[in-house]
Amino acid sequence: MQNIKNLNKTQLMVLTGLIFASALVLSLIESMLPPLPIPVPGVKFGLSNIAVMYCLFFLGEKQAYIIAILKATFVFITRGLIAGALSLSGGILSITVMFLLLLLLKERISYLVISIFGAVFHNIGQFIVIILIYVGMNMWVYLPVLLLSGVVAGIVTSTLLRFILPALKRLV
Amino acid sequence: MKFFKKSDLLVISVILAVGIIIWILYQCIYTDKAPIAEIYYYSELVETVSLDKGTDRKFSIPQEPNVIFHLDREGRICFEESDCPDKVCINTGKLNKVGQFAACLPNGIVLKIVSQEKNNDDVDIVVGN
Repeated sequence: MQNIKNLNKTQLMVLTGLIFASALVLSLIESMLPPLPIPVPGVKFGLSNIAVMYCLFFLGEKQAYIIAILKATFVFITRGLIAGALSLSGGILSITVMFLLLLLLKERISYLVISIFGAVFHNIGQFIVIILIYVGMNMWVYLPVLLLSGVVAGIVTSTLLRFILPALKRLV
Repeated sequence: MKFFKKSDLLVISVILAVGIIIWILYQCIYTDKAPIAEIYYYSELVETVSLDKGTDRKFSIPQEPNVIFHLDREGRICFEESDCPDKVCINTGKLNKVGQFAACLPNGIVLKIVSQEKNNDDVDIVVGN
């Protein structure tokens, strides 16, 4: 991981705040796109994952967790308890899996695969909460769709991150 | 760290293969028994609808009259109208396979397709001998 060096506490806090703001803007833009014609609830690209991934790759896992928690809090305030719980569990599980992959495989893994795993486990984290809330839900029907949509979402977000990266680097 | 490696294709195909295998297994386990739809309002079962073919009707549940369900001639059920902001429930589309579900989280309504047999979780138990 090529952490950005020589940032003092205030700079790091400001940068995290800016990335959090861009995560909110990304999810707002995504909610304005027309819904995908897929017969499964909740399938989307998760564009705000771009911001979270940038944070995880270049600022460290602590900042990424902070963004996930802040975003869940924001969702909780604007859209209610269940939506907040979904956002929190998806975000935390996805960051944990991506962080473990980075830790275990280091340079041998590519951004693309990390992004795919992050998207897949974001979906799985949300589904765990849905199963806990609505007992007796059968997850197996949706697991194939979740895996497929996770792969697509992972490819989309990591490709976008790759093109946005030069702009983000100028931020620092 | 690279953006993309050739071995990534392998990882992607393994994930997709797992998905396809689960899907095929699922199709084998739950074959076409006439399914029923259950409507839950905040985790409480409020209505069961038999998904018979040939009837076309619209209805709502007493707890939430703004949400209208539609059962079509093919025996598929869907959310027809809802007053929620995101309309995820309507976009979920028509359901007719056991295990599918649609949820309207803002209204606390879940529409779920289950097998006609009462003990849905016990399908694997072999009785007899």
